[in-house]
Amino acid sequence: MISTGNDIVALKAINVARTKQQKFYNKIITGSEKALYEGQFSERLPFEYFVWLAWSVKESVFKYLQRLNPELIFSPSKIKISKLEPPSSQRVSHFEGRDFNKKTVYEGIIDYSPHTFYSRTIITDDFIFSVVSHTNNFEKVMWGIKKIGSTDADDQSKAVRTFALAMLNTLFPDSELQIDKNNHSCPVILKNDIEILVPISLAHHDHWVGYSFQV
Amino acid sequence: MTREETLNELKKVIAPYTVNKEMLAGINDQTDLIRDLKINSANLVDIIIDAEAKYDIEIDYDSADKMTNVGSCLDVITEKINQK
Repeated sequence: MISTGNDIVALKAINVARTKQQKFYNKIITGSEKALYEGQFSERLPFEYFVWLAWSVKESVFKYLQRLNPELIFSPSKIKISKLEPPSSQRVSHFEGRDFNKKTVYEGIIDYSPHTFYSRTIITDDFIFSVVSHTNNFEKVMWGIKKIGSTDADDQSKAVRTFALAMLNTLFPDSELQIDKNNHSCPVILKNDIEILVPISLAHHDHWVGYSFQV
Repeated sequence: MTREETLNELKKVIAPYTVNKEMLAGINDQTDLIRDLKINSANLVDIIIDAEAKYDIEIDYDSADKMTNVGSCLDVITEKINQK
Protein backbone atom coordinates (compact mmCIF):
# COMPACT_ATOMS: atom_id res chain seq x y z
CA MET A 1 0.00 0.00 0.00
CA ILE A 2 1.24 3.46 -0.87
CA SER A 3 1.48 6.01 1.92
CA THR A 4 2.85 9.50 2.45
CA GLY A 5 4.75 11.31 5.17
CA ASN A 6 5.68 14.92 5.78
CA ASP A 7 7.00 17.14 8.54
CA ILE A 8 7.60 20.82 9.14
CA VAL A 9 10.01 22.51 11.55
CA ALA A 10 9.56 26.19 12.37
CA LEU A 11 13.06 27.61 12.53
CA LYS A 12 12.05 30.47 14.83
CA ALA A 13 10.98 27.87 17.41
CA ILE A 14 14.12 25.75 17.54
CA ASN A 15 16.79 26.14 20.20
CA VAL A 16 19.92 26.79 18.14
CA ALA A 17 22.41 26.50 21.01
CA ARG A 18 20.93 23.23 22.21
CA THR A 19 20.77 21.79 18.68
CA LYS A 20 24.54 22.31 18.38
CA GLN A 21 25.21 20.33 21.55
CA GLN A 22 26.58 16.89 20.78
CA LYS A 23 24.34 15.14 23.28
CA PHE A 24 21.33 16.66 21.49
CA TYR A 25 22.21 16.13 17.85
CA ASN A 26 23.56 12.65 18.55
CA LYS A 27 19.99 11.61 19.29
CA ILE A 28 18.91 12.73 15.80
CA ILE A 29 21.77 12.25 13.35
CA THR A 30 24.21 9.37 12.93
CA GLY A 31 27.98 9.56 12.51
CA SER A 32 27.67 9.00 8.76
CA GLU A 33 25.15 11.85 8.51
CA LYS A 34 27.48 14.17 10.41
CA ALA A 35 30.22 13.19 7.96
CA LEU A 36 27.81 13.93 5.09
CA TYR A 37 27.26 17.41 6.53
CA GLU A 38 30.95 18.09 7.01
CA GLY A 39 31.81 16.84 3.52
CA GLN A 40 29.10 18.54 1.52
CA PHE A 41 27.07 21.07 3.43
CA SER A 42 29.10 22.83 6.11
CA GLU A 43 29.71 25.85 3.91
CA ARG A 44 26.18 26.29 2.65
CA LEU A 45 23.92 25.26 5.53
CA PRO A 46 24.09 26.07 9.26
CA PHE A 47 24.59 22.88 11.24
CA GLU A 48 21.34 23.35 13.16
CA TYR A 49 19.46 23.52 9.85
CA PHE A 50 21.02 20.22 8.82
CA VAL A 51 20.05 18.57 12.11
CA TRP A 52 16.45 19.67 11.73
CA LEU A 53 16.43 18.75 8.04
CA ALA A 54 17.45 15.26 9.14
CA TRP A 55 14.76 15.27 11.82
CA SER A 56 12.04 16.33 9.38
CA VAL A 57 13.05 13.67 6.86
CA LYS A 58 13.16 10.95 9.52
CA GLU A 59 9.85 12.01 11.05
CA SER A 60 8.35 11.92 7.54
CA VAL A 61 9.62 8.37 7.01
CA PHE A 62 8.14 7.38 10.36
CA LYS A 63 4.77 8.88 9.46
CA TYR A 64 4.83 7.11 6.09
CA LEU A 65 5.43 3.72 7.70
CA GLN A 66 3.30 4.21 10.81
CA ARG A 67 0.20 4.30 8.61
CA LEU A 68 1.10 0.81 7.41
CA ASN A 69 2.45 -0.43 10.75
CA PRO A 70 0.69 1.34 13.65
CA GLU A 71 2.92 -0.30 16.27
CA LEU A 72 6.09 1.14 14.75
CA ILE A 73 8.36 3.07 17.14
CA PHE A 74 10.13 6.21 15.93
CA SER A 75 13.86 5.49 15.95
CA PRO A 76 15.76 8.43 14.41
CA SER A 77 19.12 6.68 14.73
CA LYS A 78 17.93 3.75 12.59
CA ILE A 79 16.62 5.93 9.74
CA LYS A 80 19.70 6.96 7.79
CA ILE A 81 20.09 9.62 5.12
CA SER A 82 22.58 8.04 2.75
CA LYS A 83 22.55 10.72 0.06
CA LEU A 84 21.53 14.36 -0.04
CA GLU A 85 21.74 16.64 -3.04
CA PRO A 86 21.47 20.40 -2.50
CA PRO A 87 19.28 22.69 -4.60
CA SER A 88 20.82 24.80 -7.33
CA SER A 89 18.73 27.78 -6.24
CA GLN A 90 17.49 28.68 -2.77
CA ARG A 91 14.65 30.84 -4.04
CA VAL A 92 11.34 29.12 -3.33
CA SER A 93 8.60 30.57 -5.51
CA HIS A 94 5.51 28.74 -4.30
CA PHE A 95 4.37 27.00 -1.14
CA GLU A 96 1.78 24.60 -2.52
CA GLY A 97 1.39 22.32 -5.50
CA ARG A 98 2.07 19.01 -7.19
CA ASP A 99 5.60 17.60 -7.35
CA PHE A 100 8.57 19.84 -6.51
CA ASN A 101 10.78 22.22 -8.44
CA LYS A 102 14.06 20.29 -8.31
CA LYS A 103 16.04 23.53 -8.41
CA THR A 104 14.73 24.58 -5.01
CA VAL A 105 14.70 21.37 -2.97
CA TYR A 106 17.15 19.14 -1.19
CA GLU A 107 16.77 15.64 -2.65
CA GLY A 108 17.56 12.77 -0.33
CA ILE A 109 17.78 9.00 -0.28
CA ILE A 110 17.00 7.35 3.02
CA ASP A 111 17.73 3.82 4.16
CA TYR A 112 15.55 2.24 6.80
CA SER A 113 16.18 -1.44 6.40
CA PRO A 114 14.67 -3.10 4.42
CA HIS A 115 13.10 0.04 2.94
CA THR A 116 14.47 2.84 0.78
CA PHE A 117 12.76 6.22 0.70
CA TYR A 118 13.23 9.41 -1.28
CA SER A 119 12.81 12.88 0.15
CA ARG A 120 12.22 16.43 -0.97
CA THR A 121 13.01 19.21 1.49
CA ILE A 122 12.37 22.93 1.19
CA ILE A 123 14.36 25.23 3.45
CA THR A 124 13.63 28.94 3.90
CA ASP A 125 14.58 31.34 6.68
CA ASP A 126 11.33 30.37 8.41
CA PHE A 127 10.89 26.63 8.07
CA ILE A 128 12.16 23.25 6.95
CA PHE A 129 9.51 21.18 5.17
CA SER A 130 10.04 17.60 4.06
CA VAL A 131 8.00 15.01 2.18
CA VAL A 132 9.04 11.42 1.58
CA SER A 133 7.92 8.86 -0.95
CA HIS A 134 8.63 5.24 -1.82
CA THR A 135 9.69 6.35 -5.30
CA ASN A 136 11.96 9.11 -6.56
CA ASN A 137 9.09 10.36 -8.70
CA PHE A 138 6.91 12.88 -6.83
CA GLU A 139 4.48 13.60 -9.68
CA LYS A 140 1.60 12.14 -7.69
CA VAL A 141 2.45 13.99 -4.50
CA MET A 142 0.43 17.08 -3.57
CA TRP A 143 1.81 19.28 -0.81
CA GLY A 144 1.31 22.62 0.88
CA ILE A 145 2.88 24.93 3.45
CA LYS A 146 1.14 27.80 5.21
CA LYS A 147 1.79 30.30 7.99
CA ILE A 148 -0.97 30.59 10.57
CA GLY A 149 -1.68 33.06 13.36
CA SER A 150 -1.98 30.75 16.34
CA THR A 151 0.40 28.27 17.95
CA ASP A 152 -2.36 26.54 19.92
CA ALA A 153 -2.36 22.82 19.10
CA ASP A 154 -6.10 22.69 18.39
CA ASP A 155 -5.90 25.76 16.15
CA GLN A 156 -2.94 24.24 14.29
CA SER A 157 -4.87 21.04 13.79
CA LYS A 158 -7.94 22.85 12.44
CA ALA A 159 -5.87 25.12 10.22
CA VAL A 160 -3.93 22.34 8.55
CA ARG A 161 -7.12 20.37 7.89
CA THR A 162 -8.84 23.38 6.36
CA PHE A 163 -5.75 24.08 4.25
CA ALA A 164 -5.47 20.52 2.95
CA LEU A 165 -9.21 20.24 2.32
CA ALA A 166 -9.11 23.38 0.17
CA MET A 167 -6.67 21.62 -2.15
CA LEU A 168 -8.55 18.32 -1.98
CA ASN A 169 -11.80 20.07 -2.92
CA THR A 170 -10.22 21.47 -6.08
CA LEU A 171 -9.19 17.94 -7.09
CA PHE A 172 -12.41 16.24 -6.02
CA PRO A 173 -14.96 19.06 -6.49
CA ASP A 174 -18.11 16.99 -6.20
CA SER A 175 -17.08 15.15 -3.07
CA GLU A 176 -17.88 16.17 0.47
CA LEU A 177 -14.57 15.29 2.03
CA GLN A 178 -13.51 15.38 5.65
CA ILE A 179 -10.24 14.69 7.40
CA ASP A 180 -10.35 12.64 10.56
CA LYS A 181 -8.03 10.31 12.45
CA ASN A 182 -8.22 6.54 12.37
CA ASN A 183 -7.93 4.31 15.43
CA HIS A 184 -4.15 4.63 15.31
CA SER A 185 -4.16 8.45 15.20
CA CYS A 186 -3.20 8.58 11.51
CA PRO A 187 -5.07 11.21 9.49
CA VAL A 188 -7.46 9.80 6.90
CA ILE A 189 -9.68 11.36 4.25
CA LEU A 190 -13.35 10.45 4.48
CA LYS A 191 -16.04 10.67 1.84
CA ASN A 192 -19.51 10.15 3.29
CA ASP A 193 -17.80 8.81 6.42
CA ILE A 194 -15.90 6.15 4.46
CA GLU A 195 -12.12 6.32 4.13
CA ILE A 196 -10.87 6.88 0.60
CA LEU A 197 -7.56 5.55 -0.66
CA VAL A 198 -5.74 8.87 -0.66
CA PRO A 199 -3.10 8.75 2.07
CA ILE A 200 -2.54 12.10 3.75
CA SER A 201 0.03 13.39 6.22
CA LEU A 202 -0.31 16.54 8.32
CA ALA A 203 2.32 18.51 10.22
CA HIS A 204 2.46 21.63 12.35
CA HIS A 205 5.05 23.44 14.38
CA ASP A 206 4.70 26.88 15.90
CA HIS A 207 3.21 29.20 13.25
CA TRP A 208 3.65 26.80 10.33
CA VAL A 209 1.52 23.96 9.02
CA GLY A 210 2.04 21.59 6.11
CA TYR A 211 0.42 18.65 4.39
CA SER A 212 1.17 16.03 1.78
CA PHE A 213 -1.08 13.54 0.05
CA GLN A 214 -0.69 11.02 -2.70
CA VAL A 215 -3.15 11.06 -5.63
CA MET B 1 13.26 7.37 44.53
CA THR B 2 9.70 5.99 44.43
CA ARG B 3 7.73 5.86 41.18
CA GLU B 4 5.53 8.68 42.50
CA GLU B 5 8.56 10.84 43.25
CA THR B 6 9.95 10.11 39.78
CA LEU B 7 6.56 11.02 38.29
CA ASN B 8 6.50 14.35 40.13
CA GLU B 9 9.96 15.20 38.81
CA LEU B 10 8.95 14.07 35.32
CA LYS B 11 6.05 16.53 35.40
CA LYS B 12 8.59 19.33 35.89
CA VAL B 13 10.62 18.04 32.93
CA ILE B 14 7.57 17.93 30.67
CA ALA B 15 5.98 21.21 31.84
CA PRO B 16 7.89 23.61 29.50
CA TYR B 17 6.76 21.64 26.45
CA THR B 18 3.02 21.43 27.03
CA VAL B 19 0.36 24.07 27.40
CA ASN B 20 -2.09 21.43 28.60
CA LYS B 21 -1.30 22.09 32.29
CA GLU B 22 -4.58 20.63 33.53
CA MET B 23 -3.87 17.28 31.91
CA LEU B 24 -0.24 17.42 33.03
CA ALA B 25 -1.37 17.64 36.65
CA GLY B 26 -3.34 14.41 36.26
CA ILE B 27 -1.05 12.34 34.03
CA ASN B 28 -0.82 8.58 34.45
CA ASP B 29 1.08 5.72 32.82
CA GLN B 30 -1.18 5.74 29.77
CA THR B 31 -0.86 9.48 29.04
CA ASP B 32 0.64 9.87 25.55
CA LEU B 33 3.12 12.72 25.23
CA ILE B 34 2.06 13.76 21.73
CA ARG B 35 -1.58 12.73 21.53
CA ASP B 36 -2.70 13.71 25.05
CA LEU B 37 -0.28 16.41 26.17
CA LYS B 38 -0.07 17.93 22.65
CA ILE B 39 3.70 18.04 22.85
CA ASN B 40 5.22 18.69 19.45
CA SER B 41 7.35 15.78 18.32
CA ALA B 42 10.20 18.24 17.74
CA ASN B 43 10.40 18.62 21.55
CA LEU B 44 10.73 14.92 22.37
CA VAL B 45 14.52 15.09 22.21
CA ASP B 46 14.41 18.10 24.57
CA ILE B 47 12.48 16.01 27.08
CA ILE B 48 15.00 13.18 26.87
CA ILE B 49 17.94 15.56 27.31
CA ASP B 50 16.23 17.32 30.22
CA ALA B 51 15.41 13.98 31.85
CA GLU B 52 19.06 12.94 31.56
CA ALA B 53 20.08 16.12 33.36
CA LYS B 54 17.32 15.96 35.97
CA TYR B 55 18.04 12.35 37.02
CA ASP B 56 21.77 12.35 36.17
CA ILE B 57 21.37 9.40 33.81
CA GLU B 58 22.20 8.57 30.21
CA ILE B 59 19.40 7.39 27.95
CA ASP B 60 20.56 5.30 24.99
CA TYR B 61 18.88 5.26 21.56
CA ASP B 62 16.76 2.18 22.10
CA SER B 63 15.51 3.39 25.48
CA ALA B 64 14.79 6.88 24.14
CA ASP B 65 12.71 5.41 21.33
CA LYS B 66 10.40 3.81 23.89
CA MET B 67 9.61 7.08 25.68
CA THR B 68 6.28 7.83 24.05
CA ASN B 69 3.99 7.79 27.07
CA VAL B 70 4.36 8.58 30.76
CA GLY B 71 4.57 4.94 31.82
CA SER B 72 7.37 4.12 29.40
CA CYS B 73 9.22 7.30 30.42
CA LEU B 74 9.04 6.25 34.07
CA ASP B 75 10.16 2.70 33.23
CA VAL B 76 13.20 3.94 31.32
CA ILE B 77 14.15 6.53 33.94
CA THR B 78 13.78 4.03 36.79
CA GLU B 79 15.86 1.46 34.92
CA LYS B 80 18.64 3.98 34.28
CA ILE B 81 18.62 5.24 37.89
CA ASN B 82 18.92 1.65 39.12
CA GLN B 83 21.88 1.04 36.80
CA LYS B 84 23.87 3.90 38.31
